Amino acid sequence: MTATRREFLKAGTLAGAGLVIWLELPTSAAAQAAPIFEPSAYISITPDNVVRLWITRSEMGQGVRTTLPMMLNEELEADWAQIQYQQAMPGGHFKGIRLRTSGSGSTVGTYSALRKAGATAREMLIAAAAEKWNVPPSTCRAQQGKVIHSPSGRALTYGDLAQSAARQKVPDNPPLKNPKDFRVIGTRVKRTDGAPIVTGQATYGIDVRLPGMLCAVMARCPYLGGRLATFDAAKALATPGVRQVVPIKSGMAPGVAVVADHTWAALQGRDALHIDWDPGPHADFDSDRLLQQMEAALAQPGFFVRNDGDAPKAIQSCPRKLEATYEFPFQAHAPLEPMNCIADVRGNSCEIWVPTQAPERTQSEAARLLGIPEDSVQVHVTLLGGGFGRRLFVDYAVEAVELSRAIGHPVQLLWTRSDDMRFGYFHPNDLERIAGGLDESGRPLAWIQKSVGPDLSVIGLPSEKDLADPKYYFNDGSPWGSFDNPYNFPHLKADFVPLNSPVPTGPWRAVMYPPTVFARESFLDEMAHAAGQDPLEFRLHLLQPGDVLTVGYARIDRSRLLRVLQLAAEKADWKRPLAPTDGRLHGRGIACNVYDQDCYIAQVAEVSVGRQAGDIRVHRVVCAVDCGLVINPAGLEGQAESGIIWGLSATLHGRIDFKNGAAVQENFHDFEVIRMNESPAVETYIVPSEHPPGGFGETAVPPIAPAVANAIFAATGKRIRRLPIAPEKLKA
Amino acid sequence: MSTFTLLVNGEKHRIDADPGIPLLWALRDFLRLTGTKYGCGMGVCGACTVHEDGVPVRSCQIPLSATLGKTYTTIEGISADGTHPCQKAWLEEDVSQCGYCQAGMIMQAAALLRRKPQPTDQDIDSELSDHVCRCGTYQRMRRAIHRAAREVSQT
Ligand code: FES
Ligand code: FES
Repeated sequence: MTATRREFLKAGTLAGAGLVIWLELPTSAAAQAAPIFEPSAYISITPDNVVRLWITRSEMGQGVRTTLPMMLNEELEADWAQIQYQQAMPGGHFKGIRLRTSGSGSTVGTYSALRKAGATAREMLIAAAAEKWNVPPSTCRAQQGKVIHSPSGRALTYGDLAQSAARQKVPDNPPLKNPKDFRVIGTRVKRTDGAPIVTGQATYGIDVRLPGMLCAVMARCPYLGGRLATFDAAKALATPGVRQVVPIKSGMAPGVAVVADHTWAALQGRDALHIDWDPGPHADFDSDRLLQQMEAALAQPGFFVRNDGDAPKAIQSCPRKLEATYEFPFQAHAPLEPMNCIADVRGNSCEIWVPTQAPERTQSEAARLLGIPEDSVQVHVTLLGGGFGRRLFVDYAVEAVELSRAIGHPVQLLWTRSDDMRFGYFHPNDLERIAGGLDESGRPLAWIQKSVGPDLSVIGLPSEKDLADPKYYFNDGSPWGSFDNPYNFPHLKADFVPLNSPVPTGPWRAVMYPPTVFARESFLDEMAHAAGQDPLEFRLHLLQPGDVLTVGYARIDRSRLLRVLQLAAEKADWKRPLAPTDGRLHGRGIACNVYDQDCYIAQVAEVSVGRQAGDIRVHRVVCAVDCGLVINPAGLEGQAESGIIWGLSATLHGRIDFKNGAAVQENFHDFEVIRMNESPAVETYIVPSEHPPGGFGETAVPPIAPAVANAIFAATGKRIRRLPIAPEKLKA
Repeated sequence: MSTFTLLVNGEKHRIDADPGIPLLWALRDFLRLTGTKYGCGMGVCGACTVHEDGVPVRSCQIPLSATLGKTYTTIEGISADGTHPCQKAWLEEDVSQCGYCQAGMIMQAAALLRRKPQPTDQDIDSELSDHVCRCGTYQRMRRAIHRAAREVSQT
């Protein structure tokens, strides 16, 4: 259970800046005889001079359709313009090969494997040319899609060589470049799929149109855990354009689907339904009450997370003690393209078009529902209008499959924005209580952190037997951010009290880190101020001597964290006082984090607060990053900007409340996100690194909330301990 | 049911539909112009932005009955070949992440530039802040708008 649970969580994380590919390199015997050159399952080269790369991840904004070809081409030496990409489908060619879009997973192997795929193809192309010219392969080189015979200057294109390359022996260990000779990796490359997006030609799931396709929307049970009692479809069926009304039970909430000729008719039909719901056991569920239970649970002993030294005793001995509790609410993913799926079930087969992060799971769950073999289900992964973890769940696809089976027709099931916001797998709410002690000279001596919150229900909650192991959560590395606290406290204790609720919860960009890092980095700031020290210096001292911390499975290199803190501080002019001229209260705040051992990040936020109104403006965020070798710096900077805006939305606005058993917020007017006018200038600085590449899609999210909260303290002297930040609290 | 003539991207389309159907769904489901996106359905995200007689509007809020005699442009029609200054600048600045919001953003930005060829940052803030980009590409969008403005001023 332990390994799978962590694996699942890691898989649940958002893909990094394209550093997500995982692939093995099956060198098929069939390739030897094939008319086209397919040196591995992932690429083919055809006589028309096209290099095709099957993209084994979903494109959801992180740039996999750009970075994957980059990694391949570093070794392949094709002409960039001749590389085309195609989205891989589960099964067939890719049976047993992982297509799920996952975050910080085995990036080392990934990166190596694509390079090896490119090198293998290159060596075989060279061998083919050498054979043709009857010269030693060592006198030939690959360059820009051609093999060139260096002494004579003769050249053949990859297309010319494709057929004879297919007959060459597959090399076991094709030579790989020395990273100092890279000419693709580490360069700034623009998105390969930008043009169809800006011309409106890109096809997201919602844009797929099949001949004879019908459109459907659903009314879903508004009570968590409720059921459909009865419904009257007469009025809905009388709506022009409506064809059928079908109860659906395979998704996360039971409901009634209205099938129509077009979307608007389906929406009108849905409004005309009369439904009685059986509210079920949680009809009065209320997130404020859950919070009270969580507050009470702060007094309970929790599961072991860390226990270095004897923190409770050490804190007793401290002349200076502090304690504070931090709160983080439920959050929705709200990708801009709402959930949707097209299914076409025909007898014993099924075809699906879906914006998903989990194609294999879509295939297997559809097959299970239909009672047919997986091979009979074809899954086309479209472009995704955002994923952020929500699209790892296949509930919306399975609903569409159930519906298509019921009506015997291809159908697009569209979730409205309100469906999308209210029927999610939310980021769980969370409380963190931290106590700290300073010795006589203001040195931090002890740290005690207790996390209380719902576990991620979707991965299956631990069994009683699991929980009989007091180190269950430690082995799992949970909660992230508290478990892997990088600071060098002589005495450090952390525990976790899981407290479950009926709310479905799942991975949300950065998974467990946002609440724990908000609390940890804010409380460090509190301790630094209590000790009369600069918050940057306070952190730097706590990371000395820059050694490697080993905790559970994690290895944290404190010297890398020191470096990014120093770099962010330097670039932000940390030491130089701000000199505002606009009459507002200005301040800077700093925070940092290590994302799953591989990615080190520090951020400095500059904010101002209105003296009377207490309104908050985030002017500038300086971000320093060491996440190993960077494939595409332009992609990484994009992910930094994106992660900061994501985290800032949760810092200043986002929250989901539950009242009467249902989510309250339902659209972007009551679940607000950062828009252009609130968007800070973001500067990203990358530490050159020879460490293996790490995924970066989520790393920038956790530090922004504490960086902003600490900046607000610097500006106003008011401490933020609850997100999102209420400006009323900052009013004069 | 009524019959409507809808003028979109320089072409006339006859549609038999309920007068209450929002332009957004008429474009997407009847004309198959899917570049215009559904994001919220209540006028608060901007994903569905098109031009009505050159003015940016939220197509999810316009019933077909209100389209009489009006001329519409969608992202598919803003340039013949993807060379509108905003489209070019968007590619140059590598703006898109998931890209789902970008058609609406480009339509709004194009209208801003027509009205105000040299917009300030404040102009951009007030023009674009009714739109949502959940991927947070605002900084690059801002740069792209300034770049497009430079191109417009040079031609
Ligand atoms: S879909 Fe029209 S404004 Fe959001
Ligand atoms: S690029 Fe994804 S919503 Fe804007």
